[in-house]
Amino acid sequence: MKRRFAKVLAVATGLALATTGCSGDDKPATGADGKTILTVALWNYDTTPEFKALVEAYEAAHPDVDVQPVDILADDYPQKVTTMLAGGDSTDVITMKNVIDYARFGTRGQLASLKDEVDKLDKSKYRGLDAFDLEGDYFALPYRQDFWVLYYNKKLLANSGADLTSLTWQEYADLAKKTTKGSGANAVYGTYQHTWRSLVQAVAAAQTGGDQLSGDYGFMKPQYTMALDLEKAGATLKWSTAKTQKVTYHTMFSEEKAAMLPMGTWYAARLIDEKKAGKISVDWGMAPLPQATEGGSTTFGSPTAFAVNKKARNAEAAKKFVSWASGEKGAAAIAKIGVFPAYADQSILDLYFGVDGMANDDVAKKAFQPGEVKLEMPVSEKSSDVDTVLNEEHELIMAGEKSVDAGIAEMGKRVKSEVG
Amino acid sequence: MVSTTASASTPRTRSRLRRRNTLAGWSFILPNFIGFAALTLVPVVATMALAFMKWNSYSTPEWVGLDNFRRMVDNANFWTALYNTTYYAVGHVPLTLVAALGFAVLLNRKLRGVRFFRTALFFPYITSLVAVAVVWNMLFSPDAGPVNQFLRAVGVDSPPGWTTSTTWAMPALIITSVWRDMGYYMVLYLAGLQTIPGELYEAAKMDGASPWQRFRHITLPSLRPTTFFVLIMLTISSFKVFDLVQVMTEGGPGRSTLVLSQLIFREGIEQGRFGYSSAIAMVLFVVVLLVTVVQFRLQQRKER
Repeated sequence: MKRRFAKVLAVATGLALATTGCSGDDKPATGADGKTILTVALWNYDTTPEFKALVEAYEAAHPDVDVQPVDILADDYPQKVTTMLAGGDSTDVITMKNVIDYARFGTRGQLASLKDEVDKLDKSKYRGLDAFDLEGDYFALPYRQDFWVLYYNKKLLANSGADLTSLTWQEYADLAKKTTKGSGANAVYGTYQHTWRSLVQAVAAAQTGGDQLSGDYGFMKPQYTMALDLEKAGATLKWSTAKTQKVTYHTMFSEEKAAMLPMGTWYAARLIDEKKAGKISVDWGMAPLPQATEGGSTTFGSPTAFAVNKKARNAEAAKKFVSWASGEKGAAAIAKIGVFPAYADQSILDLYFGVDGMANDDVAKKAFQPGEVKLEMPVSEKSSDVDTVLNEEHELIMAGEKSVDAGIAEMGKRVKSEVG
Repeated sequence: MVSTTASASTPRTRSRLRRRNTLAGWSFILPNFIGFAALTLVPVVATMALAFMKWNSYSTPEWVGLDNFRRMVDNANFWTALYNTTYYAVGHVPLTLVAALGFAVLLNRKLRGVRFFRTALFFPYITSLVAVAVVWNMLFSPDAGPVNQFLRAVGVDSPPGWTTSTTWAMPALIITSVWRDMGYYMVLYLAGLQTIPGELYEAAKMDGASPWQRFRHITLPSLRPTTFFVLIMLTISSFKVFDLVQVMTEGGPGRSTLVLSQLIFREGIEQGRFGYSSAIAMVLFVVVLLVTVVQFRLQQRKER
């Protein structure tokens, strides 16, 4: 009985220990019909249309390959992949959901080097490749590049007369306050600031040149002040309410409870999809992310990439798939459904803005040509630990448990002493 | 065994018989033992070994001696988690115990609809924990939540922020867990109450004992074995609490509800520092072991 508490953890570590070195499954490398079976670890296959688009397009172009998705619940994805790789699983292709996880798998030596493939690329047409540079080597190739923009409700902002092409955060806040109507359950907020720390911290880092790993976080202060001020003015749903009620940004925006929403480009595909299906009716548009300084044009984002498992059963086929998906053909396949690829030239952009239901006015086109896309979180061995600290202190500041100054000071102190 | 003749008593056949019995015994427990060994014993031993190693689940484990423990002593997260876990246990154990005992005594009478109430109280225990956490989170919501609306209605001007407040997040967790667990322990107490002979109460009544005296001098002492069992189970489950915290607050706000099992999960599964996380698991093991041993000792002394 006393041993029980250790069991849960011990089973996980022990089993992982026991199975390291064995290949996880005994599926054959080729199917009964002689096709090469290529397994791809990904998340929420049914509700993430880009995966289906890629898999189907690849199979159509390569009739000798049978791509088999290994579907994992999105929320559990990082943990599940960690366990799989630790257990010596032989899934061929592993999708890298974010660069922090990538850095972890890459530095641990769990992914195969793709340096040869990278050398063949036309780098001028890629966004987000730098994020995968681990001391000169590459272990994954990005196939999509999301960055943050400002979504807005055309109807709710119709009479505001605001010019959305070049807002500063101050102008954004003023506009939000002006647009807010009603209060309590019937309120229509001027904007919805989601609970994530990136909305404050990564914005500040990208647009003021601050470094989220530095341990010196004074640069976040103006952004925090703005976020808290919005809340105080009632122009956005309170952070604590959003957090405890597990409010989704989709609900706030699509049910027209908020006129604006700073969010990533990934959200466009969902809006298009649900509008087509008749589930939502919001008339939405896209504008560049507001800026810290007048005339700036910097946003942030994170690329999503495919990597080849070092223990892949079909390493060669996996490499081919990864290069294809991140290249021109893969880009075309996902641009067609409203997902912004890492590889982009004019023909891809045309495909993207040609998608039925896509916002494609001049404001939206401007949103898609940001001056610079910074990485949401710098890649380093420390990223994941720093992320934990920044997230905890973000919660305390937003919940009003700590003042902005105290929270920022504590972040610096903890990052220096705990991560160091 | 059928033909136990005189010859069976010669030393040789006796030892053969013993061997056969031993083998039979082993074969009976073998299926269970294999499962236990593979799924519990090996991992537990591996954890103990890993606590002295550095291992990221991929490389070869590297012996680092006491490094993991030194790191733990210097790490504020560990002390915060240890404090929070103790706080949780100190709140959760007595409150659940009292609530379970109270309801058991209350529902041990011949009341109308007693079965309904017993079932109702057991219900939280069989409800999905994720659902429980989500619903309680909404109940505790600082502005729109019914708990605070009620508090405001009865005249509390600035009710607590519950799961958004560093001071009140842990009490909110404790309340939720007491609500969830009390039904289960109530059933254990109900079973204990059934074993107390009715004559004792009758005799006490004859001697003019008040209801409180009867409870104090008959019910409580008779329930001592049950109480001991409940106490041990509650203590162990409190120290290894994980799921409720993970779904309800994720250790937040900040680190105000970060508990040891969560730290183990975070360091091991999320950050891939399996050596360090095993070391924390060892400490958790020792803490629970000590608390349990102390409880056993106290119990023995009482029985003497």
